[in-house]
Amino acid sequence: MQKIPEKYRQWLLQELPILEDKGILSAESRQPLEDYYSNQVESRVHWAAIVCAVLGALLIGGGIILLFAHNWDDLSRTARAVLSFCPLAIGVALSALAIRRGGTGLCESAGIFHSLAVGACIALIGQTYHLPSNTPGFLLIWALLILPLIFLLPSTGAYLFYITLICSWSGAAQDEYGQALGFWLLLIPAVVHVVRLIRREAHEGLLSLWGLMLMLSIALGIVLERTVPGLWIVAYACFLSLSGLLGLRLFPTESGWRNPLQTVGLAGITVLAYIFTRKGVWYDIGWSNTRHYGNYQEWGIWCDSGLTLGLAIVWALTAVKTLRRNSLPKLILCSFPLFASAGFFFAASSGGALINTLLFNAYMLALGLAYLARGCRSTQLRQVNYGMAVLGLLLITRFFDSDFGFLARGLAFILMGSCFLATNLIVTRKKYPLGGAQS
Amino acid sequence: MNWRMLLFGLLIVAQVAVPLRMIQQHETVLREGELFRFKTEPIDPVDPFQGRYVWLRIEDDFVPMSEAVTDAIDYKATGYALLNVDEQGFAKFTDWSSERPTQTTNYLKTKSRGQAVNWEQLADGNRTRVHQGLGIDIPFTRFYMDEAKAPRAERLAREATRNEDCWVEVRIFNGSAVIEDVIAEGQSLRDLASIEE
Repeated sequence: MQKIPEKYRQWLLQELPILEDKGILSAESRQPLEDYYSNQVESRVHWAAIVCAVLGALLIGGGIILLFAHNWDDLSRTARAVLSFCPLAIGVALSALAIRRGGTGLCESAGIFHSLAVGACIALIGQTYHLPSNTPGFLLIWALLILPLIFLLPSTGAYLFYITLICSWSGAAQDEYGQALGFWLLLIPAVVHVVRLIRREAHEGLLSLWGLMLMLSIALGIVLERTVPGLWIVAYACFLSLSGLLGLRLFPTESGWRNPLQTVGLAGITVLAYIFTRKGVWYDIGWSNTRHYGNYQEWGIWCDSGLTLGLAIVWALTAVKTLRRNSLPKLILCSFPLFASAGFFFAASSGGALINTLLFNAYMLALGLAYLARGCRSTQLRQVNYGMAVLGLLLITRFFDSDFGFLARGLAFILMGSCFLATNLIVTRKKYPLGGAQS
Repeated sequence: MNWRMLLFGLLIVAQVAVPLRMIQQHETVLREGELFRFKTEPIDPVDPFQGRYVWLRIEDDFVPMSEAVTDAIDYKATGYALLNVDEQGFAKFTDWSSERPTQTTNYLKTKSRGQAVNWEQLADGNRTRVHQGLGIDIPFTRFYMDEAKAPRAERLAREATRNEDCWVEVRIFNGSAVIEDVIAEGQSLRDLASIEE
């Protein structure tokens, strides 16, 4: 049973005596109902207070960094070194208070301020001794020193800082060392934190899960060695499809904001399918174009292939289990990696860029039409708009690609706009026949 | 509660130990390191965390060696560049070693950056490529300054560079380097930038 807001419980408590008076409910049945719903109330979180605390910590922390960045010439080296520890001391005191007292607002503001203070302290000592920029080293030390705060406070703000830092580290490490395999080790604590939160209370872990999925969508492309050009096509297709399928399995009744796995998966697949409609993606890919120069590592062939294979196996296992219950999102999620893999192997073996481009144009067209039809049938305005947006994006892009005249393009745009409005109108009338409510 | 406070205590120790170790390492170099002067050309950029600094482009950022020997050293390979002082009193890199030197403390731990090449203008207007040696990472390229003074310092230092009168003073000890000062027109860049126009 999903938890209910306090106002719904109040309403129910007012209704129960009336139902009892009318004989619909017996006195014996009323008491267990009251007891049950008393324990199903959502814990009230003062979001405004938390947002204020978080913003306050961010602004004060950022302000302190800027004050020190001014670089006071008159201060001696010793005075600067001592001052560098001041923000850290304040952060430690705040965190100690948060651990003792608890409370979401205090924990979050302490986590954010303390995380900023650690970075500021290291950066300011670098300023004092004129240290050169060592971005990956700086980011790694910063991330490792704030990692325990995620669990000790606990703080979602510190967690979001941590995942941002490890994602940035992967980019800096790729640039500096030519590889960022350590990212997978750094990712483990973040995953543990999210799983713990979701197991305790699904909605508590939503923000953390969103952060993790968005970060992974970026970091996967950075961490891949790209020694085999184009292998990312299969890796990303499997990752996004797996994300969507897990969303459907783990949170079957949720969608949109409340189901980040499914939303990131479906949105990612739409973006990826659109990218695949461009010819440039399919040129010079596959094992025959392997790269061994500059930052491309020779072992990247095995590393990238292993990672892609691992993702493909987990995706296949999840897809087999999920496809038993047939539905449009599942069909889209399950079919996409198959198309992407087929496209990759075809382009790698015979260079069929044009055929792949046509295939994914057809895929996007089918995706848009399927959602449009489904939305119209079930009067779901969100699905209709999604289908129209996919179709609109595809058609508009194709018009910019091709040599059509202004007149033809203008008419097509007006026609498409009219279709959008007409479909919305029809669906809205179907959904709200009395005309009382609006879309 | 107790185990959380215990772990928190350990975390504080780590958070304080890392910056303290940084300070101790660099103070040792400043105290025990030998002073070297490198000719430099400064530029003035900004770091969002550390503030405004003068970026020092070191003129002799290579170890002289033949093209064949240079090509045999991997790109970004870690090594040790040995130092000496020329007749004008400026530091020059003299040799490269993949092993840490044991006979001297005057060397810099760094990374190779492939061939260092100079393009020389010929009398007929064309340019010719001259191999200089093995390019290396220079770990003392940032001189942090007051945000108001840094742009002026850069301009003054540029003028001094044209007169070959700008250098950076660096303490080097067992592979580590710490900037002590930047000198332009015979005085510290900080003092020079403080003089009101």
